[in-house]
Amino acid sequence: MITVLANIDAIFRKELQGYFKSPLSYIIAGFFWILTALFLVLVSQQVIQYATQNDLGRQMGQGGGAPLDVPTLVLQNFLSVMGSILLFILPVLSMNLYTEERKRHTLELLATSPITNWAVAVGKLMAVLVFVITLIFPIAMLELFLLSAAKPAFPLQIFFVGHLGIILLAAAVLSLGMFISSLNDSAIVAAFLTFVLVLVLWILDFLGQTVGGAGGEILKHLSLLKHYTSLTQGMLDSSSVVLFVSYVILGLFLTAQSIDLIRFQQS
Amino acid sequence: MIDVEHLSKTYGSTTAINDVTFQAEPGEILGLLGPNGAGKTTTMRILSGYLPASHGTARVAGYEVHESPMAVRQRIGYLPETPPLYTDMTVEDYLNFVARIKGVAAGDRPTKITSAIERCNLQEKRKVIIRKLSKGFRQRVGIAQAIVHDPPAIILDEPTVGLDPRQIIEVRNLIKNLAGQTTVILSTHILPEVSMTCDRVAIINKGRVVSSGTPDDLMLQLSGGMRYELEVEGDRSYITEQLQRVADLKELHWLAADELPEQRHRLRVSTETNADFGKQLAAALVSEHVGLHEMRRVGASLEDVFLQLTTEETAFEAASEPIQTDPSEQAEETE
Repeated sequence: MITVLANIDAIFRKELQGYFKSPLSYIIAGFFWILTALFLVLVSQQVIQYATQNDLGRQMGQGGGAPLDVPTLVLQNFLSVMGSILLFILPVLSMNLYTEERKRHTLELLATSPITNWAVAVGKLMAVLVFVITLIFPIAMLELFLLSAAKPAFPLQIFFVGHLGIILLAAAVLSLGMFISSLNDSAIVAAFLTFVLVLVLWILDFLGQTVGGAGGEILKHLSLLKHYTSLTQGMLDSSSVVLFVSYVILGLFLTAQSIDLIRFQQS
Repeated sequence: MIDVEHLSKTYGSTTAINDVTFQAEPGEILGLLGPNGAGKTTTMRILSGYLPASHGTARVAGYEVHESPMAVRQRIGYLPETPPLYTDMTVEDYLNFVARIKGVAAGDRPTKITSAIERCNLQEKRKVIIRKLSKGFRQRVGIAQAIVHDPPAIILDEPTVGLDPRQIIEVRNLIKNLAGQTTVILSTHILPEVSMTCDRVAIINKGRVVSSGTPDDLMLQLSGGMRYELEVEGDRSYITEQLQRVADLKELHWLAADELPEQRHRLRVSTETNADFGKQLAAALVSEHVGLHEMRRVGASLEDVFLQLTTEETAFEAASEPIQTDPSEQAEETE
């Protein structure tokens, strides 16, 4: 057990160092930060504008709804935008996880070292997840800064559950993307296929509604979007957590199997 | 130390190796010699635990590679044909990573890494990013990777391929220095490499071990015969015709002679039994007015053994009636 942990740690550190040395990760980080920060401003502006109009309407006796919970609305809308941005970024992050190993012939080193496929896959997934958390962290600080202006004080539970949701979403997508990257040598193909797969998982909710019946219910339940949305609303639903964790384990399992298959097929 | 018995590997309907058996004693360097595609890489991949065998067993230090893969992996160092390098790491970081996944304890790592770096002469490149290293240095990093955890057995797949002559000599010396404490198995299709570095040789052709022994043994197997190298002038088919009249001509092999003027050829002929071969050879050529520029007796080389054991096509391209040498027949003779 201790050796397994030591092996996971070895892979984890190697991968993480790789991100700090790769120009691609800086480009991704820059792109992500600029885009999300911009959307944070836009989303909060719009929500505030909308709330102001709503308040004005009420004051002028034109009806309108109950007063809006502006901070919650800002956070929910922003998290859903950030989730969509991540859908494009995560496949790019996962595409190199195994294609690089294949190109450099280092799979042969890993496969002939006393380390299991599982340990390699877990180490890689943890490293890329830490990279994603590094991306999200400064933006989350910005959100906190913004929300700290809210009166009455904003309930932090929604904030934490929402961000747990985005991390779980990233873990699930990256794990499946890692499996796809283990299937072929081309990073571009891996990124594209991962994107398609994630898109399908994302819209399963709509598909489920069209199909209807018991099959539709199952499809709806497998949807990433549905469970992500419920987490961004601050509902720590165990079924959502279980679903994301299941996707992570599925990805890890398939990756470990696929690496064995590569070895057995190779001539 | 390494014990391979009746090892076979098939991919679908193709047989990569068939009933391969050989042993390597502790501390010796065993060379697997064979033409490209003979099954050397497959054999090494099975030994390293990378590929499962279809039949047979391979043991490293008493552990069967399929039954106890982790025990075997801890005890071998493996350099594949392409060195498995993380090119964005420095030599030291890379070796540190390899030492970690090979299970070297944290306290031992600095000394083992330094020792591997010194043995492979990489001191100057310790902090250099692997991407910036030349091919020769990368190969050395590949070897350092295979020895960093001090394994009792090292498997090197074509360790000198693609290197320049100077680098080849360095790598060979490095391998020779590993012997004694470590069992080394290396594969190559370069003959001088085997005679220079290996204690024993197993010649593999078409997935089978066709012969094994020390390089000297293998050469002796052929030294019963006599061979001459000739430089002659005239029409190739005419010369062949004349030579074939000489009693007991066993082999006729045209050699490359690009530097010679037109109509001048270099060839090698051999016999196994005829004691007067040289005399008769000269008489036959001179009496039929074939220009004879040079004639000398040569000893059998490992190259001859290798060619005899592995050459498929006949060497008599220009001959009207080629003399067939059947490799499978000879393989059985020498086994």
